[in-house]
Amino acid sequence: MKECNAVEVHRVVKKFKVYQDKGHTIKERALFKRRRKYEERTVLDEISFEIPKGQAVGLIGHNGCGKSTTLKLLTRIMYPDAGTVEMQGRVSSLIELGAGFHPDMSGRQNIYINASIFGLTKKEIDSRLHNIIAFSELEEYIDNPVRTYSSGMYMRLAFSVAINVDADILLIDEILAVGDANFQAKCFNRLREIKSGGTTIVIVSHAMGQIEQICDRSIWIHDGKIKADGIPREVDPIYLDFMGQQRQTVSEKKEECSNTDVLPQECSKEPQEPENKKRWGNGLARIKNISMKDVNGKSRSVFKVGEDIIFKIHYCVNKTVEDACFGIGIFRSDGVQCFGTNTKIEQIPLFHLEEDGYFTLNLKEVSLLPGEYWVDIAIECGYGIPVDYFTKALRFETYSEINDVGIARINHTWKSGSQIF
Amino acid sequence: MKLLRELYDYREMIFSLVQRDLKGRYKGSLLGFLWTFLNPLLQLCVYTLVFSVIMRNGIEDFYLFLFVALVPWMFFSACVASAAGLIRAQQDMVKKIYFPREVLPVAFVTSQFINMFYSLLVVLAVLMIAGKGINIFAVLSLPIIMVIEYVMALGIALITSAITVYFRDMEYLLGIITMAWQFLTPIFYSVDMVPARLMPVFNLNPMTSVIIAYRDILYYKQLPKMETLIQAIICGILLLAAGLFVFGRLKRHFAEEL
Repeated sequence: MKECNAVEVHRVVKKFKVYQDKGHTIKERALFKRRRKYEERTVLDEISFEIPKGQAVGLIGHNGCGKSTTLKLLTRIMYPDAGTVEMQGRVSSLIELGAGFHPDMSGRQNIYINASIFGLTKKEIDSRLHNIIAFSELEEYIDNPVRTYSSGMYMRLAFSVAINVDADILLIDEILAVGDANFQAKCFNRLREIKSGGTTIVIVSHAMGQIEQICDRSIWIHDGKIKADGIPREVDPIYLDFMGQQRQTVSEKKEECSNTDVLPQECSKEPQEPENKKRWGNGLARIKNISMKDVNGKSRSVFKVGEDIIFKIHYCVNKTVEDACFGIGIFRSDGVQCFGTNTKIEQIPLFHLEEDGYFTLNLKEVSLLPGEYWVDIAIECGYGIPVDYFTKALRFETYSEINDVGIARINHTWKSGSQIF
Repeated sequence: MKLLRELYDYREMIFSLVQRDLKGRYKGSLLGFLWTFLNPLLQLCVYTLVFSVIMRNGIEDFYLFLFVALVPWMFFSACVASAAGLIRAQQDMVKKIYFPREVLPVAFVTSQFINMFYSLLVVLAVLMIAGKGINIFAVLSLPIIMVIEYVMALGIALITSAITVYFRDMEYLLGIITMAWQFLTPIFYSVDMVPARLMPVFNLNPMTSVIIAYRDILYYKQLPKMETLIQAIICGILLLAAGLFVFGRLKRHFAEEL
């Protein structure tokens, strides 16, 4: 092991046996031999990486990709089936909070129990006790039994112990969701302090923002292999992009299944089907077929913020519609209307619909921020009489590499008056 | 050696787990820690009632004869049977945190051991109050046999706790096994009553020599025989070695099996 490294993982393989129905008793094992069939799933497939001392690394990847398993191997809770994991220095893990807490004992006594599980001696705990209590902000309650604590207080105490265990290597699994916003900020600052003190940190997180703020490096694990490894600002966008596309294939599959029932079957004259809650109107004309494509003409339902979205709507006419117009509305999944317009608003003269046809709508540079959106499409006539009003006709998602917040991205530039940037 | 060092590093964890167990057990009850003494005392009362008043038999002061053997046996049987569910009971910890897994059985056996120690204090007090009296020299040798029994109990607890992770049956099976074991150990009867041809079987039982030694010291007020002690020591070392070996092999996959 190299002197400058804190962690060396060399060609590690980890397999799990996934039992369909595992017998835990002798009877079950003897009687149901056939039921004990299992699949061997390779969670980690010859993974190798090194972490120099003092570096903060974020492990990213989708659920079940093996990042938590990697962390468990580092913690020595599990052992690899092949390969080696080497570490230098004292390891502490923020994976389980409040281990060994006894509800009937006081906060102070529980600090001793909990900290001792992390391997601290009595002397070490004594010297940290003050810091731990101060950090938890539970001074008044520290001698009360833990069962009288609220769940927030409980977690605060647990976190304070864990984060005050000084270690050379700190392993963290998705835990920065403790307490209120204030306490979270405090935890975060403490983590930064720990990092600047030279501790090597490995974090598993889905929150890219957190990783970018703390880590010097991201390792993206995909299906048991390292897919990318580099500075977070470079790796994270590729990962997010990939995840966006994955989501799209998933939703495409979903659409294949639901295509037939969402879209109107035939041009039925009486639109009194069960779906009539979703759509209403006098039925003179019906929206028949809607497609959503990108600029290259590919059907998609996940778009990157800023991409064009092109809708093509086919309709059929049962009886001539006079003075008609087309409309669209886009709603965020929580019901906020993000955009809405129709041909009349935009000064396109009213028209008559006499025979079946289609129209297209090209939304340029849709800058709605990441989220889920629903599209309403409508045909109206006269002065707002619905012919066919189709709510939630389509659904799309957007993703982005930038973590700006709000509803939509507004084109912008920054400029410093005094050239500080 | 490495294990010993690690266990030493985690001594505070062992200490606080034992403390949690002892203090937490009677927490919230009215009499609290007093129960530690009250429990064996009340048990003794029951045995006295049954064996001195109802079921009289030939052995003099049978309730004392029985009780000096029963206290060490209860410690041992707790380590055999209750230790089985030990790792599973702490699975949250085992699955999430690294610590030398041996800490759990060591802490469990130690806290049971301390309980036995308190019970023995009660036994000594009763022996004196009942007029039986104690032999100071013999009592001074008591710690030796206690340590030997501790080593044996730890060995067994290591084995049962590790195996139960893989076979949950063990937990239930052990209930019956300890009951049978209890009757195959000279607790309710004297070892002299065992037929000679069965003696080799009894000598295989590690607890036989331990119980004989306790009874020698407390009931017969004499130093235990050297051969009894040597037999016990050998059994203890063998059991501990086996326990460490089995536990060491099985502990690597605890987190996956739980």
